Amino acid sequence: MRRVIFKTYRRLALVGALVASGLAVAALPGAASAGASGGVITVGTLYANTGSFATSSMPEYAGLQFWVKQVNAAGGMYVAPLKKKEQVKLVSFNDQSDPATATTLYNQLLTQNKVNVFVADFGSVLTAPAVTIAKDQKHLLFDITGSGTSFFSSGPNPYVVLTSLPVSAVWPKPVVGLLSSLKIKRVAILYCQNDFDQAQAAAIQGFLSKEGLKPVYFQGVPTTQSDYSTIVQAIKGTNPQAVLEFGYPNNDIAFLNQLKSTNTHFNFVLTPFPGQLPTLFQQDVGAKALDWGYTYAVPPILKINQVNIGLGLNQFLAKFAPGKESSVNFLNVAGYNAGLAIQAAFAHATSMSQLGIRAGLTAVNGKLQTLEGTFALNKAGAQVGELLPVSQMVPAGSGFAYKIVYPATPAQKAMVNATAKYPAPKA
Amino acid sequence: MRLFEYALISGVLYGLFYGFIGVGLNLLFGVMRLVNLAHGDLVVWGGYLAYSLTTSAHVNPLWAIPISIPLALVAGFLLYVLTVPRLRRSPDTETSSLILFFGVSQVLEALATMKYGTNQVTLPELGNPVTIFGQQYAASLVASAALAVPALALFYLYLYRTRLGLATRAVMANEEEATASGVRIRLVATSAFMIGLAFAAAAGPLATFMLGGINPTTGGGLTITAFTIIIIGSLGNPAGTAAGGVLYGLASSLTQAYATAWTGMVPYALLLVVVLVRPSGLFGRRVRVA
Amino acid sequence: MPLALVVAVLASGPALYNNLAFLTTLAIYILLAQGVNVVYGFTGYLPFGYVGFFGAGIYGSSLAITYWHVGGYAAIGLGAATSIIAGLILSPLLRLSGAYFALATLAASQALYFIVANESWTFGESGMSLPLLFSPTALYAISVVAVALTLIVILLVRDSHFGLSLRAIRSDPVSAAMAGVNVVRTRTLAWLLSAALAGVAGALWAMMTSAFYAETPFDLTISVYAIVFALFGGVRTVIGPVLGTIVLYSLYQYIGISNPQYFELIYGLLIVLLVLFLPGGLTSLVGGRGDRPAWWNWVLRRRSAHGDLTPEGRSS
Repeated sequence: MRRVIFKTYRRLALVGALVASGLAVAALPGAASAGASGGVITVGTLYANTGSFATSSMPEYAGLQFWVKQVNAAGGMYVAPLKKKEQVKLVSFNDQSDPATATTLYNQLLTQNKVNVFVADFGSVLTAPAVTIAKDQKHLLFDITGSGTSFFSSGPNPYVVLTSLPVSAVWPKPVVGLLSSLKIKRVAILYCQNDFDQAQAAAIQGFLSKEGLKPVYFQGVPTTQSDYSTIVQAIKGTNPQAVLEFGYPNNDIAFLNQLKSTNTHFNFVLTPFPGQLPTLFQQDVGAKALDWGYTYAVPPILKINQVNIGLGLNQFLAKFAPGKESSVNFLNVAGYNAGLAIQAAFAHATSMSQLGIRAGLTAVNGKLQTLEGTFALNKAGAQVGELLPVSQMVPAGSGFAYKIVYPATPAQKAMVNATAKYPAPKA
Repeated sequence: MRLFEYALISGVLYGLFYGFIGVGLNLLFGVMRLVNLAHGDLVVWGGYLAYSLTTSAHVNPLWAIPISIPLALVAGFLLYVLTVPRLRRSPDTETSSLILFFGVSQVLEALATMKYGTNQVTLPELGNPVTIFGQQYAASLVASAALAVPALALFYLYLYRTRLGLATRAVMANEEEATASGVRIRLVATSAFMIGLAFAAAAGPLATFMLGGINPTTGGGLTITAFTIIIIGSLGNPAGTAAGGVLYGLASSLTQAYATAWTGMVPYALLLVVVLVRPSGLFGRRVRVA
Repeated sequence: MPLALVVAVLASGPALYNNLAFLTTLAIYILLAQGVNVVYGFTGYLPFGYVGFFGAGIYGSSLAITYWHVGGYAAIGLGAATSIIAGLILSPLLRLSGAYFALATLAASQALYFIVANESWTFGESGMSLPLLFSPTALYAISVVAVALTLIVILLVRDSHFGLSLRAIRSDPVSAAMAGVNVVRTRTLAWLLSAALAGVAGALWAMMTSAFYAETPFDLTISVYAIVFALFGGVRTVIGPVLGTIVLYSLYQYIGISNPQYFELIYGLLIVLLVLFLPGGLTSLVGGRGDRPAWWNWVLRRRSAHGDLTPEGRSS
């Protein structure tokens, strides 16, 4: 009996030592980098270098890093309550596209690294845990692309700021305008079952029903869908005048390739991502299969050079990737734009408290002109300014060019540089 | 009606390809009860080989098939020697192998990310669409089905017309009896492992077409699909694997046509129904259950 | 004694490392690893789709909070109840064994995911969004209590007639049945107990995360981590899964915040090495119960055929 007890204690001692060392080890980096004082403003963020969101997360992160480099090179960012410029320090962790890991890492940024403000990782799935933490701990979150409807539907909320994209439900408004200007009545809608795509599909369905129209095809597929063979055939069977496919990049690629490999021709095809990731689509789908297709026009297709903060688009392209301007995509711009929002908030902040920093954004709401357009937030923190026009991909040389064919706001009418070619010519 | 016809034909064509995906796994799981969760990742690596060939040497991606086979045989031998003898000593080989190969799959995914990045990668289409009964099917789909048939036939010849295949089937049916009657288990196991991996890698280029491109995370879903197919079609039965694939392909294309929202659930629902109703699979004689 | 130690360590967690989201997740993983311990350690069934119960608990509690406006404690109870119901529905799977069982549970968990992701009453597409019911500190305290209660239950199970029956079934179901053990009922009870643990863990996770989409609760890596943590610590012991979770999940967090480039590669290799070189888990190194270290088994086999009859000791 005594021996058993002795052995137990020995074992427990070892367990205790292991646990303690485990925790001590885990606590180390937090202790080492704690504190936001000492003349720097710390901005925390997460990125994903593996997993399903890496494709989008990494370029966005690169854009934010570029912003930090820019402000620091200019001697820092002006912080109104301190009446001086401060250097910006970016603290970032890798969540590997896993929302559960992201939860603990966002919390790490706030509790251990004590960052002044934090920036969410790409997309609604990885932003969701940050939204919770921002609300619970009353800490200001800059949400770049997490446009999930539920984040902004529970009333006024000063702690979440959507910097880049309008909420998903607002996106497709110009698409409906274009469809009705082309007198298209038979619309087929295929969407992926996630917040981003479903909200767009539902919004279009709503707009159409106001005009007394009903989609001839309206179906959701899992976001993991990769085989579109029979789906395309089913859509073809409904004889649509326009086909709208709302997916993530991999869905758009698989869908467009299916059309190509079966020589299926529709007169009007809209997919959301060729505008955001031109290089990837050029590689994976090819210019020929993209010709005459439609997509949302985002920067850098949308060239906004009249700005009152940060760089205009052309300057951004030249400085971000000198000599390789064509490799710059929307997510690079979005990451940089989030930095500009942070910069504006601090430049007009009334105090260093979280609400004081947020008040800085309220002061410039609707007046800020960035390379993404007019920065305007509603009371829930959703972006309502940076609306996206529709563009058509038009053959040009060996590749294609994006022509803006339908504006989202009256101000964008000046940007329209082509009329939509409908029906799309056969290859 | 036209849609139904299309769903049937494309279901069969896809199904033959899925049968091809199942073959390699069938050998590993059937012979040694190794739950190879890295199967899909091996297929994806076969696809990446084809991608490298087309982008660097600008040759037809199907050349990757003959090139991948010897590479996979060597890789299979190494992986076998490094892991399987130790695994077989574990009191619960099946469970241990499942966790081990999950680790291997993570490693393969990580290596793919390092080499090829996280973007979706596609292969250039093989040619103009093929017309069957007046409807158009992708050339790659028809080619995949056409290549799956000889692959399944080879699998059949190996199991039923070679001495090693005979021994393999004996081990699948009952390892102890086979050992007692003088079958050289280690030889059977090694060759099953190597050949299984070769089949997986050879299916890779086709998978890249059939899945609309590949990325490092594609393998996971493919593994589950492959398990579904071999369990439906029964272990050690090439015709069963082909039939399991076709059944899966049909179920998948018919849900695409008539219950689009539920396509993701097809493999899981099929697997559950089959293991509960007939755990030995639809074409098997017997299998060890509880 | 070990129980007091675990609680003491968890309670002092915030003083050492004040990241409550991490500590609460750690407690949740301890519950999951113990759930795996019950069903795999005590019955030999590997529930690869264990995450299905976790997801059922998450959605059971979240929907109760959303539609019935129940309080936090009721939500935990309803989460557990939902998982138990899911366990009852899936109990026919216990007829299978080995990899068939593992893959069938995996299929079941993913089928459940597709149902949740497809339906609008589960907020499958728009995402779940819950009100704040507990402060992070309160939620962590509740999680520590849940871990303590779980350990008591596992201790009771291990030392009860029920635990004895489980072990008998694990080593040989046929002889156990002949000795009068109701094999089906005993297995099912263990299965439901482990489902309930995952349900409680799920409810805690739902209240901690409060905004999420269906892919997160049903992510298969959660199953895999729970299994790997339990195995790393050592199944069939009470302390093993706790130890395995604390060490490996802390390591995971540490690697995560030290930001290496090859995270996935390192973690994958770790799993491979673990299976090959430490199949009995950490507790086997310390000479724990259950699986003895391989070298010791070898010695026993050399010395006498009676080596395996050494009576099982207590504690750990």
